Amino acid sequence: MLTRYSVAVLLLAGLPIIAQAADSYTIDPPHTYAHFSVSHLGFSTMQGRFDKSSGKITLDRAAKKGTVDIAIDASSISTGWPKRDQHLSGPDFFNAPEYPTITYKSSAVKFNGDTPSSVEGNLTLLGVTKPVTLNITAFKCGTNPMNQKELCGADASAQIKRSDFGMKYALPNVGDDIKLVFEVEAYKD
Amino acid sequence: MSEWLNHPAIQSGLAPFLISLLVAELLLRLRLSGLAIVAGFAVTVYLASNFAVSPLTATRKIVWLGLTSGLVGVVLGYFSSSLWRPVLAVLAGAAAIWVGLPVLRHQPLEVAMQWAAGCALFTAWLVFWMDTLQDDSARAGSAGVALGLGSGGCALLGGSALLGQFGLAVGAAAGAYLLIQMLTNNRLPCGRSYTLPLSLICALISCLAVLTTQLPWYALAPLAAIPLAAKIPVSERLQLWVQSLLLAITTLACAAGALYLTWRVAGAPLY
Repeated sequence: MLTRYSVAVLLLAGLPIIAQAADSYTIDPPHTYAHFSVSHLGFSTMQGRFDKSSGKITLDRAAKKGTVDIAIDASSISTGWPKRDQHLSGPDFFNAPEYPTITYKSSAVKFNGDTPSSVEGNLTLLGVTKPVTLNITAFKCGTNPMNQKELCGADASAQIKRSDFGMKYALPNVGDDIKLVFEVEAYKD
Repeated sequence: MSEWLNHPAIQSGLAPFLISLLVAELLLRLRLSGLAIVAGFAVTVYLASNFAVSPLTATRKIVWLGLTSGLVGVVLGYFSSSLWRPVLAVLAGAAAIWVGLPVLRHQPLEVAMQWAAGCALFTAWLVFWMDTLQDDSARAGSAGVALGLGSGGCALLGGSALLGQFGLAVGAAAGAYLLIQMLTNNRLPCGRSYTLPLSLICALISCLAVLTTQLPWYALAPLAAIPLAAKIPVSERLQLWVQSLLLAITTLACAAGALYLTWRVAGAPLY
């Protein structure tokens, strides 16, 4: 009797630990985009985005841990002008035929309270991997009122130099500094 | 000054032209004027890109193959043998597959095999037939101008300014080489140090542009005809500049055909 009681107590004590284990999320591609902006000849700042992405996120808010693993289809670049998109996805810039995927893999997620504030990780572009920190500017988890599924969303941004990744064509006329902005939504698995 | 050097027309036109003029003249006594092609190409690589090796992209493979082929051409000049021509053609075909590999590995096997075979054949063809012009600097010079401008222009129209600049640089370098002959009415030394890098760089640029831009594969046919067009009979009694001019017109007509076919598909360039 005592043994059964002890087992029951141990199981109950363990429940919060199970509940606090990292939650796994799958990125929702129609609500996840990587945007970029770059100076065009110093006259204006051109905006563009990649239309296709996929990936996984894990989040343990209690333990203040998480992972981010995103893959972006380099050929899905979209700037509002197909001719320019073809050029940007070609060998002069993103070289999608040779490097079809851009990846970001986190190494650490920093928290402010129980909310993620930044993600440290590695961006792989054109076969070159460099550390990039994403600063999270907005974050929310909850239930999507449309489909009643559990959902987390975030906005994040980072600044990179394209020359660091070997993308040197048309420097300095087309700017070296690239601002990356990610809008991410992911459903709980 | 740096703003001036960043201009694509300077990078792939004026700079390789002037350097090639200089190199062709300086190396005349050594009978290595053909290295003007590699010199002009190297200047454009320096100004528009870089000499980085890692990661070894298809474009970087073209750069290093182009530069080393010039040296190979010089060395082969000391070992004359009829065997070199087919051997170089086969090696060039293999080089084309190696260059295209990073792109082809993302394609279905059947498609990759077709492209690999086509690119290898095209590259081997150009290297083989340009090699037959190595003893005639007027014909080689004219073919070089057309091949450089044709492959560069097609890559530019297809959608890669960098590959386009590389090809146009070769055209400008060959133009400088030809101009010296036309102005002095004297032939320059040619040899494999001229024909090998020229044909290899232009063929590889065209192949990669087919794989990665909108350059249609059938635009390669007029480019492949350029070395043959440079073989049309021209009277030796004509002055050298007239011979060169006639050959340049003939070969440039082939290049224009390739440009037209590319323009029909890709339209006007973005830049």
